[in-house]
Amino acid sequence: MKEITYVQAIAEALAEELERDEKVFCIGEDIQTGTFGATAGLVKKFGPDRIMDTPISETAIAGAAVGSAMTGYRPVADFMFADFMYIAFDEILCKAAKWRFMHEGTQQIPVVFMAAMGGYLGLGAEHSQSPVSYYMHTPGIKVVVPSTPYDAKGLMKSAIRDNNAVVYLYHKALLGSTGEIPEEEYLVPLGQADIKREGKDVTLVATGMQVQFALNIAEQMKDKVSIEIIDPRSLEPLDIDTIVKSVEKTGRAVVVDEDTSRCGAACEISMQIVEKAFDYLDAPVQRVAAKNYPIPPGAMEKFVLPQPQDIIDAVEAVMG
Amino acid sequence: MKLEKDQLVKFYSLMVRTRKLDNLMIEALNSGRMAGFYHAGPGEEAVGIGACTFNMRDDDYLYPHHRSHAIGFTLARGISPKGWVCRHFDKNPGEVEGPTAEERGIFGISGTIGGGFPLSLGWGITAKKNGKNQAVLSFFGDGASGRGTLHESMNMAAIWKLPIVWICENNQFGQFMPIKDAFAREDIADIAAGYNMPSAVVDGQDVLAVHEAVEVAVQKARAGDGPSLIECKTYRMRGHAEGVPDVDHVDPRSEKDKEAWRKRDPIVLFKENLIKQRILTAEEVSKIDKEADDEVAELDKYQQECPVMVPSDASILDVFLYAE
Repeated sequence: MKEITYVQAIAEALAEELERDEKVFCIGEDIQTGTFGATAGLVKKFGPDRIMDTPISETAIAGAAVGSAMTGYRPVADFMFADFMYIAFDEILCKAAKWRFMHEGTQQIPVVFMAAMGGYLGLGAEHSQSPVSYYMHTPGIKVVVPSTPYDAKGLMKSAIRDNNAVVYLYHKALLGSTGEIPEEEYLVPLGQADIKREGKDVTLVATGMQVQFALNIAEQMKDKVSIEIIDPRSLEPLDIDTIVKSVEKTGRAVVVDEDTSRCGAACEISMQIVEKAFDYLDAPVQRVAAKNYPIPPGAMEKFVLPQPQDIIDAVEAVMG
Repeated sequence: MKLEKDQLVKFYSLMVRTRKLDNLMIEALNSGRMAGFYHAGPGEEAVGIGACTFNMRDDDYLYPHHRSHAIGFTLARGISPKGWVCRHFDKNPGEVEGPTAEERGIFGISGTIGGGFPLSLGWGITAKKNGKNQAVLSFFGDGASGRGTLHESMNMAAIWKLPIVWICENNQFGQFMPIKDAFAREDIADIAAGYNMPSAVVDGQDVLAVHEAVEVAVQKARAGDGPSLIECKTYRMRGHAEGVPDVDHVDPRSEKDKEAWRKRDPIVLFKENLIKQRILTAEEVSKIDKEADDEVAELDKYQQECPVMVPSDASILDVFLYAE
């Protein structure tokens, strides 16, 4: 095992896949430098034809990635901030997500759309969002959200090897967080949840930065309540079975999501728990997510983004 | 390259077949025996057929546009029209002989206008990376000139010298919007200068003029000299789609303009030219017309005999959704 940061883990995954498969290439704005470091240094090894810097042209970046994926390549399109992907929604939510389906399975579109998401850095409404719900909502596209260096590397490698469009959203506030990964190659399969901490009283479902909050809270509250933390890691496909199995054991569920509460991932996961494990529930499912406002800048963001105290309150509520 | 007699005859034959298939869909929709929508394009046959028939290799990529639902492109690329006809009637054509659309580099038509530009850019990247001198022909209508995707894609294609030929089929109307009120200049081709890209404006009613202009651009693309833009001036003879008002903003479109363009019907012009130059006799032309009529009748009969397009169960949707 070796210790590595979250962002280094992403860079390592990209480097290994670029090395392994000459059809893989990266395309995006300022990726040769790498705004968050995830693509930094790759151009030195793989050259500008495979680490392609583009003008500020999100629709063309996304569409070009889809077009080249249809014709035999495996592009990784980088959007810097997840917020910037909205510009290219026709390319991402229609072309990448629907063209295989529209053409009755005659096409393969192995493309990765990567971007940094998330708040807690005070960057304001258009640089802080965690827009997982749009992708989870749209049939035909997968979405993954790593919370640790181990998952960041393993999920990226699986996303690149997947023969479908995958949105890979990594969290800005976790870039420098550290963790252990094996020296040898490994993959984290898409659609497989990970139990980040075992417990028996409450099932706490969380992704990305919220997993770190949850781990701290579970430790903090361990004398009062035993919390089981489940990180779905991929929201589509969603490993609902692991979540349901945990709820059957604990009888209580709290679902945490950094995206806007209304129609968000927590909303969908909570409903699936209700549909599949209602008879096991000893208390109503609690949802913790960003409040239904744009994310304000600076210190004011605490009024909107989920806070550790909100998670504690939800755990106490289900415990009664 | 000077075209041989059989190539000239092929241009004529493809344009006639395209027109007759267009007419089949207009008749079927208006008579109520076909559902859905249809965007007819009689009078615009020379553009797609002139550009694609003899300038493309099997391994090139093509983005057609939605007018006539790309039947001219389909025929020009040597793809059987059986699938095209059957799908309009929601029928299953079964196994169809010959290459599929994908095997001729056609991956679909965007449901959003201007959605073809970024995809074409991607095919251009593929072509360049493959290093086999493939070319991309990417068509768009005048209305698509309003999209930002055009700018982003043309700019990047020019920076990277990608082998893309952008071809504007300017039929002078968006849905109800005349291009004169939607674009600030007379010629859409003028935007090419902003991307340091050569351009040409050609008579879209003249199949040979289109062929020649595209031939030059395709050769440049294959040689690694980057993209070009060709604007073909033509005219939309019918409404945007069958059954929608045929208007200029809100008023009926000018009958005078239509009449003037009707006199420049690309099929009639080319036929007269072939007869005048003694390439074909009037009798030979009639024979081609008759063969096209028979073929279209045969296709209509074929679709009537095909089963409806409903799979035995919905599990096929999972196969469509994700690849293994």
